[in-house]
Amino acid sequence: MTASLTNALLVMAILAIGVYLVAIINRAWANALGHSGAGNPFTAPFYSAASLWVAPANTTEAPDAMAWHLAPVLYLTLAAMGLALVPWSQNLVPVDLTTGIVLWGALEPLATVVIFLHGWSANAHLSMLGAYRYVSLGLSYLLVSMFVLIGVALPAESLQFSAVVESQAGLWNVIRQPLGLPLFLLVGLGISFWGPLNFADSNDLAGGTSSESSGRARLVWQAGRAVMLVAFSAIGATAFLGGWLGPVLPGFVWMILKTMVVLAMALLLGQLIPRFSPDRFLTIAWVLLLPLAFVDLVWAGLEALP
Amino acid sequence: MELTELLTLLIIGLLTFAVGLWLSGRPITKPQYRAAPPWPQRAPFLGGGSPENHAWNRFHARYYPMTLLLIAFEMEMMFMYPWAVVYVAEGMKALVEMGMFLAILSVGIIYGWREGAFKWQ
Repeated sequence: MTASLTNALLVMAILAIGVYLVAIINRAWANALGHSGAGNPFTAPFYSAASLWVAPANTTEAPDAMAWHLAPVLYLTLAAMGLALVPWSQNLVPVDLTTGIVLWGALEPLATVVIFLHGWSANAHLSMLGAYRYVSLGLSYLLVSMFVLIGVALPAESLQFSAVVESQAGLWNVIRQPLGLPLFLLVGLGISFWGPLNFADSNDLAGGTSSESSGRARLVWQAGRAVMLVAFSAIGATAFLGGWLGPVLPGFVWMILKTMVVLAMALLLGQLIPRFSPDRFLTIAWVLLLPLAFVDLVWAGLEALP
Repeated sequence: MELTELLTLLIIGLLTFAVGLWLSGRPITKPQYRAAPPWPQRAPFLGGGSPENHAWNRFHARYYPMTLLLIAFEMEMMFMYPWAVVYVAEGMKALVEMGMFLAILSVGIIYGWREGAFKWQ
Protein backbone atom coordinates (compact mmCIF):
# COMPACT_ATOMS: atom_id res chain seq x y z
CA MET A 1 0.00 0.00 0.00
CA THR A 2 2.74 2.44 0.97
CA ALA A 3 4.73 1.37 -2.09
CA SER A 4 1.66 1.95 -4.26
CA LEU A 5 1.20 5.46 -2.88
CA THR A 6 4.87 6.33 -3.32
CA ASN A 7 4.77 5.09 -6.91
CA ALA A 8 1.58 7.05 -7.58
CA LEU A 9 3.12 10.25 -6.23
CA LEU A 10 6.24 9.62 -8.32
CA VAL A 11 4.12 9.38 -11.47
CA MET A 12 2.32 12.61 -10.53
CA ALA A 13 5.68 14.35 -10.10
CA ILE A 14 6.92 13.05 -13.47
CA LEU A 15 3.64 14.23 -14.99
CA ALA A 16 4.09 17.78 -13.70
CA ILE A 17 7.76 17.94 -14.70
CA GLY A 18 6.87 16.44 -18.09
CA VAL A 19 4.38 19.19 -18.93
CA TYR A 20 6.95 21.88 -18.08
CA LEU A 21 9.66 20.04 -20.02
CA VAL A 22 7.51 19.84 -23.15
CA ALA A 23 6.84 23.58 -22.92
CA ILE A 24 10.55 24.37 -22.45
CA ILE A 25 11.82 22.16 -25.28
CA ASN A 26 9.09 23.27 -27.65
CA ARG A 27 9.86 26.96 -27.07
CA ALA A 28 13.60 26.34 -27.25
CA TRP A 29 13.19 24.73 -30.68
CA ALA A 30 10.94 27.58 -31.80
CA ASN A 31 13.60 30.10 -30.74
CA ALA A 32 16.41 28.10 -32.37
CA LEU A 33 14.46 27.92 -35.64
CA GLY A 34 13.66 31.62 -35.53
CA HIS A 35 9.90 31.22 -35.10
CA SER A 36 8.52 34.31 -33.44
CA GLY A 37 6.50 34.62 -30.27
CA ALA A 38 7.95 31.77 -28.22
CA GLY A 39 9.49 33.99 -25.55
CA ASN A 40 11.88 32.87 -22.85
CA PRO A 41 11.61 29.05 -22.80
CA PHE A 42 11.83 28.86 -19.00
CA THR A 43 9.46 31.62 -17.91
CA ALA A 44 7.01 31.90 -20.81
CA PRO A 45 5.21 28.60 -19.96
CA PHE A 46 4.31 30.07 -16.56
CA TYR A 47 2.94 33.23 -18.17
CA SER A 48 0.80 31.20 -20.60
CA ALA A 49 -0.45 28.92 -17.84
CA ALA A 50 -1.25 31.88 -15.60
CA SER A 51 -3.14 33.68 -18.35
CA LEU A 52 -5.23 30.56 -18.99
CA TRP A 53 -5.74 30.12 -15.25
CA VAL A 54 -7.32 33.55 -14.78
CA ALA A 55 -9.12 33.72 -18.14
CA PRO A 56 -12.90 33.40 -17.83
CA ALA A 57 -14.31 30.07 -18.93
CA ASN A 58 -16.35 30.12 -22.11
CA THR A 59 -19.63 28.40 -22.73
CA THR A 60 -21.91 27.87 -25.71
CA GLU A 61 -25.67 28.02 -26.06
CA ALA A 62 -26.50 24.39 -25.32
CA PRO A 63 -23.40 22.37 -24.50
CA ASP A 64 -23.24 18.89 -23.00
CA ALA A 65 -21.89 20.49 -19.85
CA MET A 66 -20.79 17.41 -17.94
CA ALA A 67 -19.04 15.81 -20.92
CA TRP A 68 -17.34 19.12 -21.70
CA HIS A 69 -16.06 19.37 -18.16
CA LEU A 70 -14.92 15.74 -18.06
CA ALA A 71 -13.27 15.31 -21.47
CA PRO A 72 -9.98 17.18 -20.69
CA VAL A 73 -9.79 15.52 -17.26
CA LEU A 74 -10.30 12.06 -18.77
CA TYR A 75 -7.69 12.70 -21.44
CA LEU A 76 -5.19 13.74 -18.76
CA THR A 77 -6.07 10.62 -16.75
CA LEU A 78 -5.50 8.33 -19.74
CA ALA A 79 -2.15 9.99 -20.41
CA ALA A 80 -1.15 9.57 -16.76
CA MET A 81 -2.06 5.88 -16.86
CA GLY A 82 0.12 5.51 -19.94
CA LEU A 83 2.96 7.30 -18.17
CA ALA A 84 2.54 4.95 -15.19
CA LEU A 85 3.58 1.97 -17.34
CA VAL A 86 7.04 3.35 -18.04
CA PRO A 87 9.88 1.44 -16.32
CA TRP A 88 12.37 4.08 -15.15
CA SER A 89 14.96 1.58 -13.90
CA GLN A 90 15.17 -2.09 -13.02
CA ASN A 91 13.70 -1.53 -9.55
CA LEU A 92 11.64 1.57 -10.28
CA VAL A 93 8.58 0.61 -12.31
CA PRO A 94 5.44 2.37 -11.02
CA VAL A 95 3.05 -0.11 -12.64
CA ASP A 96 4.81 -3.28 -13.82
CA LEU A 97 1.84 -5.14 -15.32
CA THR A 98 2.57 -8.42 -17.13
CA THR A 99 0.05 -7.15 -19.70
CA GLY A 100 1.44 -3.61 -20.00
CA ILE A 101 1.34 -3.58 -23.81
CA VAL A 102 -2.32 -4.67 -23.74
CA LEU A 103 -3.18 -1.81 -21.38
CA TRP A 104 -1.29 0.65 -23.60
CA GLY A 105 -3.25 -0.71 -26.55
CA ALA A 106 -6.49 -0.03 -24.67
CA LEU A 107 -5.51 3.55 -23.77
CA GLU A 108 -5.05 4.62 -27.40
CA PRO A 109 -8.61 3.95 -28.64
CA LEU A 110 -10.02 5.35 -25.38
CA ALA A 111 -8.08 8.56 -26.03
CA THR A 112 -9.76 8.71 -29.43
CA VAL A 113 -13.16 8.44 -27.74
CA VAL A 114 -12.27 11.22 -25.29
CA ILE A 115 -11.01 13.53 -28.05
CA PHE A 116 -14.29 12.99 -29.89
CA LEU A 117 -16.19 13.73 -26.67
CA HIS A 118 -14.29 17.00 -26.28
CA GLY A 119 -15.26 18.13 -29.77
CA TRP A 120 -18.82 16.90 -29.44
CA SER A 121 -19.71 18.38 -26.07
CA ALA A 122 -19.33 22.08 -26.95
CA ASN A 123 -22.19 21.76 -29.47
CA ALA A 124 -20.41 24.05 -31.92
CA HIS A 125 -19.74 23.40 -35.60
CA LEU A 126 -16.00 23.85 -35.77
CA SER A 127 -15.29 21.72 -32.73
CA MET A 128 -17.64 19.03 -34.04
CA LEU A 129 -15.79 19.05 -37.37
CA GLY A 130 -12.48 18.67 -35.53
CA ALA A 131 -13.88 15.69 -33.63
CA TYR A 132 -15.17 13.91 -36.75
CA ARG A 133 -11.95 14.60 -38.57
CA TYR A 134 -9.87 13.30 -35.70
CA VAL A 135 -11.85 10.06 -35.49
CA SER A 136 -11.62 9.33 -39.20
CA LEU A 137 -7.84 9.85 -39.13
CA GLY A 138 -7.29 8.26 -35.72
CA LEU A 139 -8.94 5.09 -37.00
CA SER A 140 -6.36 4.98 -39.73
CA TYR A 141 -3.18 5.06 -37.67
CA LEU A 142 -4.15 3.41 -34.34
CA LEU A 143 -3.33 -0.04 -35.70
CA VAL A 144 0.19 0.98 -36.69
CA SER A 145 1.37 1.57 -33.11
CA MET A 146 -0.09 -1.74 -31.94
CA PHE A 147 1.68 -3.73 -34.64
CA VAL A 148 5.06 -2.18 -33.80
CA LEU A 149 4.49 -2.82 -30.08
CA ILE A 150 3.64 -6.48 -30.78
CA GLY A 151 6.91 -6.48 -32.72
CA VAL A 152 8.90 -5.62 -29.59
CA ALA A 153 6.95 -8.20 -27.56
CA LEU A 154 8.15 -11.04 -29.83
CA PRO A 155 11.84 -11.18 -28.76
CA ALA A 156 10.82 -10.45 -25.15
CA GLU A 157 8.31 -13.34 -25.15
CA SER A 158 6.27 -11.14 -22.86
CA LEU A 159 3.81 -8.23 -22.91
CA GLN A 160 5.54 -6.63 -19.90
CA PHE A 161 7.47 -3.43 -20.61
CA SER A 162 10.26 -4.29 -18.16
CA ALA A 163 10.73 -7.64 -19.96
CA VAL A 164 10.87 -5.76 -23.27
CA VAL A 165 13.76 -3.68 -21.88
CA GLU A 166 15.61 -6.76 -20.63
CA SER A 167 15.27 -8.43 -24.04
CA GLN A 168 17.33 -5.56 -25.51
CA ALA A 169 20.42 -6.29 -23.43
CA GLY A 170 22.25 -7.61 -26.51
CA LEU A 171 21.02 -5.16 -29.13
CA TRP A 172 18.46 -2.37 -28.99
CA ASN A 173 15.23 -2.79 -30.87
CA VAL A 174 15.86 0.42 -32.80
CA ILE A 175 18.55 -1.53 -34.70
CA ARG A 176 16.82 -4.91 -34.71
CA GLN A 177 13.51 -3.43 -35.90
CA PRO A 178 14.43 -0.12 -37.53
CA LEU A 179 10.89 0.68 -38.74
CA GLY A 180 9.42 0.56 -35.25
CA LEU A 181 10.47 3.83 -33.62
CA PRO A 182 9.57 6.19 -36.51
CA LEU A 183 6.15 4.57 -36.91
CA PHE A 184 5.51 4.67 -33.17
CA LEU A 185 6.56 8.31 -32.93
CA LEU A 186 4.26 9.22 -35.80
CA VAL A 187 1.31 7.68 -33.94
CA GLY A 188 2.42 9.57 -30.82
CA LEU A 189 2.19 12.86 -32.71
CA GLY A 190 -1.23 11.76 -33.95
CA ILE A 191 -2.73 10.82 -30.60
CA SER A 192 -1.49 13.99 -28.92
CA PHE A 193 -2.54 15.80 -32.15
CA TRP A 194 0.77 17.58 -32.31
CA GLY A 195 2.47 19.44 -35.19
CA PRO A 196 2.17 17.70 -38.56
CA LEU A 197 -0.60 15.40 -37.30
CA ASN A 198 -2.70 18.02 -35.53
CA PHE A 199 -6.03 17.07 -37.07
CA ALA A 200 -8.21 17.72 -34.00
CA ASP A 201 -7.19 21.18 -32.79
CA SER A 202 -5.58 22.85 -35.77
CA ASN A 203 -5.83 26.45 -36.88
CA ASP A 204 -7.70 25.69 -40.09
CA LEU A 205 -10.70 24.87 -37.86
CA ALA A 206 -10.05 27.88 -35.61
CA GLY A 207 -8.81 25.53 -32.89
CA GLY A 208 -10.95 22.49 -33.73
CA THR A 209 -12.22 20.59 -30.72
CA SER A 210 -10.95 23.29 -28.36
CA SER A 211 -12.21 26.23 -30.43
CA GLU A 212 -14.87 26.96 -27.82
CA SER A 213 -12.89 26.14 -24.70
CA SER A 214 -10.97 28.70 -22.70
CA GLY A 215 -9.58 29.27 -19.24
CA ARG A 216 -8.70 26.44 -16.91
CA ALA A 217 -10.42 23.72 -18.95
CA ARG A 218 -8.18 24.63 -21.88
CA LEU A 219 -5.15 24.54 -19.60
CA VAL A 220 -5.96 20.96 -18.56
CA TRP A 221 -6.53 19.98 -22.19
CA GLN A 222 -3.14 21.36 -23.24
CA ALA A 223 -1.45 19.72 -20.26
CA GLY A 224 -3.04 16.40 -21.20
CA ARG A 225 -1.61 16.65 -24.72
CA ALA A 226 1.84 17.33 -23.32
CA VAL A 227 1.63 14.38 -20.91
CA MET A 228 0.48 12.11 -23.73
CA LEU A 229 3.50 13.15 -25.79
CA VAL A 230 5.83 12.50 -22.81
CA ALA A 231 4.22 9.09 -22.27
CA PHE A 232 4.72 8.22 -25.94
CA SER A 233 8.36 9.35 -25.83
CA ALA A 234 9.04 7.35 -22.68
CA ILE A 235 7.36 4.20 -24.02
CA GLY A 236 9.25 4.72 -27.30
CA ALA A 237 12.53 4.93 -25.39
CA THR A 238 11.54 1.82 -23.42
CA ALA A 239 10.48 -0.27 -26.37
CA PHE A 240 13.13 0.73 -28.90
CA LEU A 241 16.09 2.46 -27.21
CA GLY A 242 16.79 -0.08 -24.49
CA GLY A 243 15.08 1.76 -21.62
CA TRP A 244 17.29 1.88 -18.55
CA LEU A 245 20.13 -0.12 -20.17
CA GLY A 246 23.43 1.70 -20.58
CA PRO A 247 26.99 1.80 -19.25
CA VAL A 248 28.42 3.71 -16.26
CA LEU A 249 25.46 5.95 -15.41
CA PRO A 250 22.61 4.60 -13.26
CA GLY A 251 19.59 3.20 -15.10
CA PHE A 252 17.09 5.97 -14.43
CA VAL A 253 19.52 8.61 -15.76
CA TRP A 254 19.79 6.70 -19.04
CA MET A 255 16.04 6.38 -19.19
CA ILE A 256 15.51 10.11 -18.61
CA LEU A 257 18.14 10.99 -21.22
CA LYS A 258 16.61 8.66 -23.81
CA THR A 259 13.10 9.92 -23.14
CA MET A 260 14.28 13.50 -23.54
CA VAL A 261 16.01 12.69 -26.83
CA VAL A 262 12.84 11.11 -28.24
CA LEU A 263 10.72 13.97 -26.90
CA ALA A 264 13.04 16.59 -28.37
CA MET A 265 12.90 14.76 -31.70
CA ALA A 266 9.09 14.68 -31.65
CA LEU A 267 8.89 18.38 -30.78
CA LEU A 268 11.42 19.27 -33.49
CA LEU A 269 9.27 17.42 -36.03
CA GLY A 270 6.31 19.38 -34.68
CA GLN A 271 8.12 22.67 -35.31
CA LEU A 272 9.64 21.73 -38.69
CA ILE A 273 6.99 19.83 -40.63
CA PRO A 274 3.80 21.55 -41.78
CA ARG A 275 0.52 19.83 -41.10
CA PHE A 276 -0.28 17.02 -43.52
CA SER A 277 -3.30 17.43 -45.68
CA PRO A 278 -5.88 15.20 -43.96
CA ASP A 279 -7.24 13.66 -47.14
CA ARG A 280 -3.80 12.59 -48.32
CA PHE A 281 -2.71 11.39 -44.94
CA LEU A 282 -5.77 9.15 -44.66
CA THR A 283 -4.75 7.23 -47.78
CA ILE A 284 -1.08 7.22 -46.73
CA ALA A 285 -1.97 5.76 -43.33
CA TRP A 286 -3.91 2.83 -44.76
CA VAL A 287 -1.95 1.95 -47.88
CA LEU A 288 1.59 2.88 -46.77
CA LEU A 289 1.94 3.06 -42.98
CA LEU A 290 -0.16 -0.03 -42.17
CA PRO A 291 1.68 -2.28 -44.68
CA LEU A 292 4.97 -0.86 -43.31
CA ALA A 293 3.80 -1.93 -39.84
CA PHE A 294 3.18 -5.45 -41.24
CA VAL A 295 6.70 -5.44 -42.67
CA ASP A 296 8.03 -4.34 -39.27
CA LEU A 297 6.19 -7.22 -37.59
CA VAL A 298 7.48 -9.83 -40.05
CA TRP A 299 10.98 -8.32 -39.76
CA ALA A 300 10.77 -8.54 -35.98
CA GLY A 301 9.44 -12.09 -36.23
CA LEU A 302 12.21 -13.34 -38.52
CA GLU A 303 14.81 -11.60 -36.36
CA ALA A 304 13.44 -13.12 -33.15
CA LEU A 305 13.52 -16.71 -34.42
CA PRO A 306 16.32 -18.68 -32.77
CA MET B 1 1.85 -8.99 -7.06
CA GLU B 2 -0.26 -8.20 -10.10
CA LEU B 3 -2.99 -6.89 -7.79
CA THR B 4 -0.56 -4.41 -6.22
CA GLU B 5 0.27 -3.10 -9.69
CA LEU B 6 -3.41 -2.72 -10.51
CA LEU B 7 -3.98 -0.94 -7.20
CA THR B 8 -1.17 1.50 -8.04
CA LEU B 9 -2.73 2.08 -11.45
CA LEU B 10 -6.10 2.74 -9.84
CA ILE B 11 -4.58 5.23 -7.39
CA ILE B 12 -2.79 7.02 -10.23
CA GLY B 13 -6.01 7.17 -12.23
CA LEU B 14 -8.08 8.51 -9.35
CA LEU B 15 -5.41 10.97 -8.26
CA THR B 16 -4.98 12.41 -11.75
CA PHE B 17 -8.74 12.56 -12.19
CA ALA B 18 -9.14 14.49 -8.94
CA VAL B 19 -6.29 16.88 -9.71
CA GLY B 20 -7.65 17.38 -13.22
CA LEU B 21 -11.12 18.16 -11.91
CA TRP B 22 -9.71 20.69 -9.49
CA LEU B 23 -7.48 22.28 -12.15
CA SER B 24 -10.26 22.61 -14.71
CA GLY B 25 -12.45 24.49 -12.24
CA ARG B 26 -16.18 24.58 -11.73
CA PRO B 27 -18.36 24.24 -14.82
CA ILE B 28 -19.50 27.71 -15.78
CA THR B 29 -22.91 26.49 -16.93
CA LYS B 30 -23.99 26.31 -13.30
CA PRO B 31 -25.29 29.84 -12.83
CA GLN B 32 -25.00 29.75 -9.06
CA TYR B 33 -21.23 29.92 -9.37
CA ARG B 34 -20.68 32.67 -11.89
CA ALA B 35 -22.74 34.66 -14.35
CA ALA B 36 -22.64 33.07 -17.79
CA PRO B 37 -21.63 35.28 -20.75
CA PRO B 38 -24.48 36.98 -22.61
CA TRP B 39 -26.31 35.05 -25.34
CA PRO B 40 -24.60 36.57 -28.39
CA GLN B 41 -21.29 35.55 -26.91
CA ARG B 42 -22.53 32.03 -26.29
CA ALA B 43 -23.45 31.42 -29.94
CA PRO B 44 -21.08 28.85 -31.48
CA PHE B 45 -18.09 30.53 -33.14
CA LEU B 46 -18.39 30.56 -36.91
CA GLY B 47 -15.95 33.30 -37.85
CA GLY B 48 -18.57 36.02 -37.52
CA GLY B 49 -21.56 34.28 -39.04
CA SER B 50 -24.40 32.90 -36.98
CA PRO B 51 -25.29 29.20 -37.19
CA GLU B 52 -28.42 28.17 -39.04
CA ASN B 53 -28.60 24.70 -37.58
CA HIS B 54 -27.57 22.70 -34.56
CA ALA B 55 -24.03 21.33 -34.49
CA TRP B 56 -25.41 17.99 -33.38
CA ASN B 57 -26.97 17.50 -36.76
CA ARG B 58 -27.31 14.25 -38.62
CA PHE B 59 -23.97 13.66 -40.17
CA HIS B 60 -22.97 11.19 -42.83
CA ALA B 61 -20.09 9.28 -41.23
CA ARG B 62 -18.20 8.60 -44.43
CA TYR B 63 -15.44 6.85 -42.54
CA TYR B 64 -17.86 4.04 -41.73
CA PRO B 65 -16.17 1.40 -43.99
CA MET B 66 -12.88 2.20 -42.24
CA THR B 67 -14.40 1.55 -38.83
CA LEU B 68 -15.40 -1.95 -39.98
CA LEU B 69 -11.86 -2.62 -41.18
CA LEU B 70 -10.47 -1.28 -37.90
CA ILE B 71 -12.68 -3.65 -35.94
CA ALA B 72 -11.48 -6.58 -38.06
CA PHE B 73 -7.88 -5.71 -37.20
CA GLU B 74 -8.62 -4.99 -33.56
CA MET B 75 -10.14 -8.46 -33.22
CA GLU B 76 -7.03 -9.85 -34.83
CA MET B 77 -5.02 -7.94 -32.23
CA MET B 78 -6.75 -9.97 -29.52
CA PHE B 79 -5.28 -13.13 -31.03
CA MET B 80 -1.95 -11.43 -31.45
CA TYR B 81 -1.36 -10.71 -27.76
CA PRO B 82 -1.14 -14.39 -26.70
CA TRP B 83 0.54 -15.24 -29.99
CA ALA B 84 3.35 -12.75 -29.25
CA VAL B 85 4.09 -14.43 -25.91
CA VAL B 86 4.46 -17.96 -27.31
CA TYR B 87 5.99 -16.87 -30.62
CA VAL B 88 9.64 -17.82 -29.98
CA ALA B 89 8.64 -21.14 -28.42
CA GLU B 90 6.45 -22.06 -31.41
CA GLY B 91 8.97 -20.81 -33.97
CA MET B 92 8.41 -20.82 -37.74
CA LYS B 93 4.95 -22.35 -37.41
CA ALA B 94 3.68 -19.30 -35.51
CA LEU B 95 5.15 -16.94 -38.11
CA VAL B 96 3.50 -18.77 -41.00
CA GLU B 97 0.15 -18.93 -39.21
CA MET B 98 0.08 -15.22 -38.43
CA GLY B 99 1.38 -14.48 -41.92
CA MET B 100 -1.59 -16.33 -43.41
CA PHE B 101 -3.99 -14.50 -41.09
CA LEU B 102 -2.50 -11.11 -41.99
CA ALA B 103 -2.53 -12.01 -45.69
CA ILE B 104 -6.27 -12.75 -45.54
CA LEU B 105 -6.94 -9.44 -43.75
CA SER B 106 -4.73 -7.63 -46.24
CA VAL B 107 -7.03 -8.79 -49.03
CA GLY B 108 -9.65 -6.72 -47.18
CA ILE B 109 -7.37 -3.67 -47.32
CA ILE B 110 -6.75 -4.14 -51.05
CA TYR B 111 -10.48 -4.57 -51.67
CA GLY B 112 -11.26 -1.50 -49.57
CA TRP B 113 -8.61 0.48 -51.44
CA ARG B 114 -10.08 -0.57 -54.79
CA GLU B 115 -13.55 0.42 -53.62
CA GLY B 116 -12.25 3.83 -52.55
CA ALA B 117 -12.78 3.33 -48.80
CA PHE B 118 -9.51 5.12 -48.03
CA LYS B 119 -10.34 8.24 -50.00
CA TRP B 120 -11.45 11.42 -48.29
CA GLN B 121 -14.98 11.81 -49.59
